[in-house]
Amino acid sequence: MTRPGLRALSGLALLASVTGCAVLPAMPAPVPSSVIPNRAPAPAPTSSGNLSPDGFDAAQRMAVRIRNIGCGSVSTGSGFAIDANTLVTNRHVVADSSALQLSTYDGRDVGATAASTAGLADLAIVRTAEPLPAAPELADADPATGDAVTVVGYPLGQRLTITTGSVLGATTDPLNVNLGEVLVTDAPVEPGSSGSAVLDTDGRVVGVVYAKDAEGHSFVVPVSTLRAMLDDESAFTAAPTCT
Amino acid sequence: MLVVSGLLTAYLIRTTTAWQRTSAEWEDLARTHGTELAQVQTDLEAAQAELTDTQTQLAAAQQRITELADEKARLGDTSASQQQLADYQARVSQAAGQVATALANCIDGQQRLIGYLRDADQYDPSDLQRFATDVDRVCGAATDANAALQRELDR
Repeated sequence: MTRPGLRALSGLALLASVTGCAVLPAMPAPVPSSVIPNRAPAPAPTSSGNLSPDGFDAAQRMAVRIRNIGCGSVSTGSGFAIDANTLVTNRHVVADSSALQLSTYDGRDVGATAASTAGLADLAIVRTAEPLPAAPELADADPATGDAVTVVGYPLGQRLTITTGSVLGATTDPLNVNLGEVLVTDAPVEPGSSGSAVLDTDGRVVGVVYAKDAEGHSFVVPVSTLRAMLDDESAFTAAPTCT
Repeated sequence: MLVVSGLLTAYLIRTTTAWQRTSAEWEDLARTHGTELAQVQTDLEAAQAELTDTQTQLAAAQQRITELADEKARLGDTSASQQQLADYQARVSQAAGQVATALANCIDGQQRLIGYLRDADQYDPSDLQRFATDVDRVCGAATDANAALQRELDR
């Protein structure tokens, strides 16, 4: 190689080494002791919401079994709490009794202090001595035809049962015990289911079961009637008793 | 030229060594976290299995509570019915006893009245009439007691 060639090669090597410094690998960063990210503290719940203290859902906890000790007869019906010491049922469930005996979903006995019945609907309210486990919310409006409903009660006086169905429509009361229209559903009920709460998909009360027919339809006092009765203190009078 | 090349080579060797050491440390850290993750996954699986068992037990307990509540309620119904039957039988027994007592008094009075009437001339007619009225009242009480018994039997 000629002398000028060597000079050129040396110049290129020097240039490469100088420019190469710009792309030389840097020293590695120190390795951290942990790469687990810090976790934000979980927010504490502000309320228990709809959580149940014993695993039973609200629909079961609000149900009340009613035993009507009459004069020469014993009958059973269903009811549901609307506040800590008040439950709603049917007029015919509490009528002509010498004593009412109440029990909750878990078999706890609750004393009844007074019962009163509505004159214009098959509805009654019973006051209790001890607090009831849970009370549902009343819906603002009656359910529409086709809406799904759930019935919670004690058919035939047997174990607490939940059945489902849908609203078939409204009709005049076939028994003529209620003022205004009543609802018809296909939710299965039996004697003893009278006074059961009818719930919508949000767990709100939309009616009260009071009768059934031979075709398996259940008849329901709508929540609008229940609200109207509850809003009018004069609508309820002391339930008739027997001696 | 040679000096620069030497410095460059030394730097590259030192850098390579540092990267090798760092790589090993990262690997150790990854293995440590991997071990911890495996342990956490094991703990999670155990907790999930325990939760499933607890849910099963809760469901069984709820079902049993519902059954016991039903049994208690039905026993209460039976007890109430039997109490009503016992009350009814007590009322019927009491009414039957009153009928028997009243009838015995009635029969006794009528027999005495018959005896008096056989010797009617030995008694004051007004006394006989008063006694006969008393016997009618006693027998009327027996009739009332019997009516009360029939009402109880019809209930």
